Parts: sequence; C-alpha cells; structure tokens
Amino acid sequence: MTYMINIDWIISVLAFISIYLIAVIALNLQYGYTGIPNFGLALSIAGGAFVAGALTGRIAMWYYGVDSNLDFISDNSIITSIINQRLAHDPLGGITIFLLIIAISMLINAFLGFIAAYPAIRLREDYLIMVLIAMAEGIRIIGINYRPLVGGTLWVHVPDLFAWLGDLRRTIYVIIMFISSMLIFVLVQLLVTSPFGRLIRAIRENEILADSLGKNIVKVKMIVMVLGSALASIAGVLFALYTEVVMATSYNRIDWTFWPWLMLMIGGMGNNVGAFVGTIAVILARRLIIFYKHEIEHFIPFSVVWLEHILLGITLILFMAFRPQGLMPEKPTKVRGLADYSKIYTKVKEKLMQNNE
Amino acid sequence: MIPPIIKDALVYANLLLMLSIGFTLTYLTAKIPNFAHGTLAGIGVYIAFTVARILKLNAYLALPIAFLIVGIVELALYITVIGTLKRMGATFISLTIATIALEIIISASINIYADYISRATGVFSRAFLMRKEDFNLFGLPGALIVSSILVATLITTLHLMLTRTKFGIAMRATVENPALAEMMGINTEKVTAISWFLTGGLAGLAGALLPLWFQGYPEIGNQLIVSVFASSVLGGLSSIYGAMIGGYIVGLTEVLGTKMLASLIGAWITAYRLLIPLTVLSIVLLIAPRGISGIIEDIMLSKALYKQKIMSGSKGG
Repeated sequence: MTYMINIDWIISVLAFISIYLIAVIALNLQYGYTGIPNFGLALSIAGGAFVAGALTGRIAMWYYGVDSNLDFISDNSIITSIINQRLAHDPLGGITIFLLIIAISMLINAFLGFIAAYPAIRLREDYLIMVLIAMAEGIRIIGINYRPLVGGTLWVHVPDLFAWLGDLRRTIYVIIMFISSMLIFVLVQLLVTSPFGRLIRAIRENEILADSLGKNIVKVKMIVMVLGSALASIAGVLFALYTEVVMATSYNRIDWTFWPWLMLMIGGMGNNVGAFVGTIAVILARRLIIFYKHEIEHFIPFSVVWLEHILLGITLILFMAFRPQGLMPEKPTKVRGLADYSKIYTKVKEKLMQNNE
Repeated sequence: MIPPIIKDALVYANLLLMLSIGFTLTYLTAKIPNFAHGTLAGIGVYIAFTVARILKLNAYLALPIAFLIVGIVELALYITVIGTLKRMGATFISLTIATIALEIIISASINIYADYISRATGVFSRAFLMRKEDFNLFGLPGALIVSSILVATLITTLHLMLTRTKFGIAMRATVENPALAEMMGINTEKVTAISWFLTGGLAGLAGALLPLWFQGYPEIGNQLIVSVFASSVLGGLSSIYGAMIGGYIVGLTEVLGTKMLASLIGAWITAYRLLIPLTVLSIVLLIAPRGISGIIEDIMLSKALYKQKIMSGSKGG
C-alpha cells in the first residue's frame, strides 16, 4: 500500500518537474541567455492553459459532432463526459487534437508575447519589468471575468485526450510530458550553442557593442521573447491536460512567475543544466512541504501556503545576497560553428595570397 | 450633491497620488523600482482594520499609527535587505528581484495576520468596508475630505521641503548625482534611508484611508501596484511633481473611464478596470517613455534654446 502511494507521489513530482522545467528553460532562454527580465512568465503559461481550456473541448465537440444545442460553458461537465467516452476508443483523434492544441497555443502565445513586450522592449529593463508584470495581471483579469473563455470565476473541464490509454493513462501521460520537456531542453540547448546563442549572449553582456557590430538588438530580443513565450505556453497546455481542468484564478504571478524565477536563480542563469537542477530542488522541497502539510501545520498557526511564500521570498533574497550566480554558474559555452574558424582563416589567407600574386 | 462616482474618482486619485509619489521617490533615491510598494499599503489597510474593528476606536486614529509603522517597516527593509544587498555589490536586477521577494513575504504576512485575527476575535477580516463608520460633513464623506486635505498638505510640505530646507536640497543632490553629493559632505545613505521611511509612511497613510471608501482585502496592495506603475510612468519616474500629476490623471481615468465605458458598452466592462492603467502604461511607453516630466523638460529645453537663438541672433545683428 505504501509502495503504491510512493509511486503515485513520484509520478506527481515528475509531472510538476516536467511542467516547471519547460517554464524555467523558456525563462532561461529569455533572461539567462538574452537578459530579458521576463517577470510576466505567468502570461504565457496562463495563455497556454486558457487555450487548452477554451479550445480542446470546443474542437473535440466539433470533431465528434456533439449536440450543438449544448452550451460549452454551462453544460461543460456533460459535454466533457460525452467527449471522454468517445476519446476512450479513439487514440488517433486524441493525439491529433493534442498536437493541434499545442500548435495553436504556441501561435497564440507567440503573438501575446509580442504584444506584451512591444511597448517596452526598446526601453530600459525596469520599464519592461513593469509592463510584463502588468500584462500577466491583465490576462488573469480577462480569464477571471470573461466567462466564455474558461468559465470565469468557475472552471472548465479539459477533455481527457489520453482516455484511450485506460488505467495506464496517468503514468503514460506523465512520461509524455517528461519527454516533451526533455525535447524542449535539447532544443533550447541546441539554440544557445549555435551562433544565434552567441549573438544573444553578446546582447546580454553589452548591448551597445552588439549594436555597433550591426546587430538589430530589438529584433533579436523580440525573437527570443516570442520564442520563449511560445515554449512556455506548452507548460500551460500540458498542465491543463494533466489536471483536466482550467481555473483562471489559479494562474497568479506567484505560482507561475516567481516560483520559476526562484528555480532559475537557484540553479544558475545561463546554464540549462543548472536550471534543471534548480527546478528539481525547488519542486522536491515544495512537494515535501505539501506531503508533510498536516505535520507542519501542527507547529505553525497558519496555512502552509503562506509558509511556502515566505520561504520563497527568503530563499530569493539569500540567493541574491550570497550566490547571485546560482548553484551552477554559467560555463563558457562551446559554440558549434566556431571550430570552422581555422578553415575560414586558411581560406581567407589563400584568397589574399592569390590576390597578391 | 456630488455624484458618488466623482467621490470614488477623487478619493482613488488622492490615494494613487500618495502611492505614486512614494514609488517615484524610492525609484529616484535607490535607483530601483520598489515592487513591494503596493503591498506596503496593504499593511496600512490592516492597521486601519485593527484600529477600527478590533480595538473599536475611531478609524482616523489609524492614520498616524499607519504612517509610523509602515514607515518603520520600509526603513527596516531598506536597512536590512536593500541597503545590505547594495553594499554587497548586487546588480540592478538582483535588487529588483529582492523587492519582489519582499512583496511576496509582506503579502504572505498580511494574509497570516488576517487569518490569525479572524480566528482569534471572530471578526471576518478577508473583506471589509468601513464606509458606513465614516463621518459626513456637508454631505461630503470624511474619506474624501481627509484624503484631499492630506494630499494638499503633502504637496505643499514636499515642495517646501525640497526647495527650502537643507534636507530637501541634500535629497535632490543625492537624486541628481550621489557621488558628487557625497563629496560635498552629504550622507547619501542617510538621505536615502529617510526618504524610504517617508515613502513607507505615505504608503501606510494611503492604505489606512483606503478601507474608509473602498473594500479592503489582503491582496489589495498587489492589485494597486499596476495603477501605481501606470501613474509613476505617466509622471515620468524622474520627478515627484510628475508623479503627482500622473497619480491624479490615472486615478481619475481609471474610475471615470470605467464608468463612461460602462454606460457606453455595458456594465460588464467594470470588471476589466485593471486594463485601463495597463493601457495607459503601454500608450505612455509607446508615445512618450519619459512621461509628463520628460515632455515638460523637452519644452523648457526647446524654449531655452529658442531664447538663446534669439539672443545670439540679436547680438549678431
């Protein structure tokens, strides 16, 4: 019995690690490598979750031809149970909708990231921070108040796109999530070790210098912002499909902006392996606090949520004071393509020789 | 007499003015945006709650208490966290993250206090409004009168302080050029610490006044911060006078704009009130990122240049 509980616990930890890893890697691309302080990360994650909440059910309704007299929001439970019955025998439909939702979410959130960063991307970083915090707060307000989106102050159910897996559904879905996060990890790692990675690090280190070398700083920053938002939104989609429910009120800035920031700060910015380590450390700590919630609440006269928040704040300050570079500081990256310099050099030399002759 | 919506707008604009003066002042002296500023007002809100509902005293007694307590909290935060981090050589982003961490800690503490007080006394503390307990004078609510008087006093005092007193001049010097100010024998650390105490006090005052007219709840400060950003950025983040104008414009636009949109489009729009400061913020940054004080500076500069041109022209002729 205890063995079963432990397996369950490990699966839930793995699920949270996968979701937050995607968010932290996207943040690392934006802040760690490019120096864009994205304090509106919750915008992309809420955006992804809202897309999953608002569109999965509607697309499935259309796909399976569910009675169109039913209203998506008020008859949500009925619709979801009809769709889930159909999905239980339709692996192809489930996978198609899954991929479609991820693609739509990436597109929409790339656009949202563009809009959110547009007013202040040219300005000093403090202006950008203010605008991004405000934008993330804005999408939450829209989610809470615009009922057709994800049910307003209530919630919407997300159809179980992996219902066809039967009893193994939860385990296999978590494995799919983990593989997705690993894919994103590898993708970002490839990106930052490419010449583009060298460019964004150059912008982070010295904008004026990069500008003087003819690089379009605003454009590059915007590309990173858009790409990061699209990637982070995948975390929102996967989380929505994992919990099978989307509640607008839960996409606040503490859970989806500041916790990922803490993970990145602990791990070390500009180092994806560090980001991974930071994510695992924070998730394990948080899960342990929740696991021993009742035991802890014997000792403290308040809800464990606030304890978590206070610990989050104190850890952030301590890291800023004593180890701002994180546990695993950035290492000099070997950029792919740099090795060809010797070839270029010899080629240029040959050309020069020829010209001289 | 005055329609309730105007009262709403005026009280809100007064509160926002106090908050944006504080936000701008900390920005000018410590050179970082203090994201914990809105949450500090949240402390003031709960001081007012404690004085009026728990101790059953006059709610206005909370004003001086809130000024002192929140001022001391802000000063303590500056000395223990921000100042220390600065001395340790923290970067701008590290300091900004530290203020966000402080926001989280203060916000959690307010929540703990609210839960504790309602469990200990049985008074519901997660949402409260003290408008009915407020006094009325010639049909004007006390919150409006007191906040207006406070704002008027504040503007005159700040203006006199900045222009006539030694401390004010030392403060302006610290803002303009800390290194030079230090060379002239000004203790810039002390000046910064005192200005942080003042800004904390102002946030406390605004917070203590708030539940007399608007509903108070633990997260109120975290939500006010977007309006504070908007008004400070509109003001230009470079002068206290700009912050005053910005606070008033954003406060009035937020309340009256929502009301106008509600009568035009429908009442459902009132829920999206937060999007108004967000829009103001975006538009200001797109059109005039240096805000009102930047525009005024530009006009003065061009006037001065024009004058110079005429003078040099007349000399030449």
